[in-house]
Amino acid sequence: MSSVTNVQRGADTGPPHHLLVGLGRGAAGAMLFGMPMLMTMELWHLGFYIDRVRLFLLLTVNIPLLIVLAHRIGFEHTSTWQEAVRDATIAYGLGIVMSALVLALLGDLEPDMPFSEILGKIAIQAVPASIGALLGRSQLGGQAGNDEGGDKDDGQDEGKDGDAVPDQMSTSYGRELFLMAVGALFLSLNVAPTEEIILISFKMTPWHALVMVVISIAIMHGFVYAVAFKGAHELGEGTPRWHAFIRFTLPGYMVAMLISLYVLWTFGRLDDAAPTQILMSVIVLAFPGAIGAAAARLIL
Amino acid sequence: MTTISTRPHRETGEPHWIEWVTGTVSALLVVAMIGWIGLEALMEEDLPPEFSIAITGRAAVEGGHRVEFVILNKANQTAAAVVVRGEVLDGGKAVEAADITFDYVPADSKASGAILFLQDPGEREIRIRALGYTDP
Repeated sequence: MSSVTNVQRGADTGPPHHLLVGLGRGAAGAMLFGMPMLMTMELWHLGFYIDRVRLFLLLTVNIPLLIVLAHRIGFEHTSTWQEAVRDATIAYGLGIVMSALVLALLGDLEPDMPFSEILGKIAIQAVPASIGALLGRSQLGGQAGNDEGGDKDDGQDEGKDGDAVPDQMSTSYGRELFLMAVGALFLSLNVAPTEEIILISFKMTPWHALVMVVISIAIMHGFVYAVAFKGAHELGEGTPRWHAFIRFTLPGYMVAMLISLYVLWTFGRLDDAAPTQILMSVIVLAFPGAIGAAAARLIL
Repeated sequence: MTTISTRPHRETGEPHWIEWVTGTVSALLVVAMIGWIGLEALMEEDLPPEFSIAITGRAAVEGGHRVEFVILNKANQTAAAVVVRGEVLDGGKAVEAADITFDYVPADSKASGAILFLQDPGEREIRIRALGYTDP
C-alpha cells in the first residue's frame, strides 16, 4: 500500500509543495478542532477578563505539551527533539494565525478594541487551535504522514499500513498518561468555558456526582479495553482485567480530574467556591475529560 | 512498559513498580473522593440558601461612590439570579437605592460585587440585602 502511494506522490512532492500541504493540513486541523471554541461566546469574554497570570501559565504550559506531542505523533515523522521543537513552533504559529483569522471573520475582532483584548482573545484560542494543528497533521494526513520518511531516511523502514502513527512503538507508562492528559485537556478546553459546567454542578445532588464518577471510570475502561474499537488495547495473555484497571484506568481518571481542576482554575470558575463545590465541578468536567483521555489512547 | 502497535495495542511484559504505585495512589484517591461525596450525600439535609453580606471597601469613583461587598451563601444549596439591593439610609429612610444581580452564589461560597451610588453616603448608614433568588 505504501509503495503505491509513494509512487503516486513521487511526482508532486517537491519541498515547497510538501511544506504547503503540511501547513494546509495543520491549518485545517486548527479549524476543525478549534471551531467549537472559536464560536463560543464565553471564550471571547474570557479573552479580556481572564486573569493574565493564569493565561500566561496556560500559554507557557502549552509549549512543552506541543513539543512532546509533536515528538509523539509528529507533523512530519519526527525523529529528533529538534524537529519536534520546529513542528511545535509551526503548530503554535498556525494556531495563532488561524484563531486570529477566524475571530476576525466572525466579527469578533475590531480595530478599535484595546490591544490587550484582541491579544487575549487570540491567545486563549491559540492553545486548542495549536493542538488541533498538530492533530490535524497526524489525523488528516493519513498515509502522507510518512512522506518525509521516504525523502530523508532511505534506509528507514516506512509505515507498513500507512498510519501516521508508527507501527510499533514502545511507549513508556509516563507517555501513556501524557496522552491521556492531552485528550482530557482538549475536551476540557472545549466545554469548560461554558456556563453549563458550573450550572450542572449546582443542579446535581451528591448522588448524581457519585454515579457520574462511576460511569466516567466505566466508560474510560470500556473505551479502551472492552469495546473493541480500532486500535483498542488488548491485554496480554493471562493478565487479569483488574490489572489494567488499576494501572491505567484509575490513574487515567485521576489525570482527567487534575486537568479538569487546572482548566476550571484557569478560567476562574473555582474562585471563592467551597471545596465540595469545587469537587462537584471537577467531577462534571472530568466526565468529558475521561472520554477525551480514553479516546486519546486509542487515536494517538 | 506498554507496547503500542498500530492495532491492537497490547500490554506486555512485567509492569514497572511505578505503575502499581500510581495505580494504588489513584485507587485510594478515587475511593476517598467517593467516600467524601457519599458522606455528603448521606449527611446532607437540604438547606435553602441563606445569605450574609459584608461591606469590604468604599471609594469615590467618577460620577459616584463605589461600595464593594461580598455575599456569602451559608447553606448547601446554590442560589441563582440573586438580586441584591443597596440603600443609603438617612434617618431610617432610603434616600438612594441600587440593585444588582448575581448569576450565582454557590453553596458554601462567596461572591463579590459592588454597588455604585450617585451620592457619597458619608456618615450615613448603608444597607445591603438580598431581595430574592431562583433555584438553578
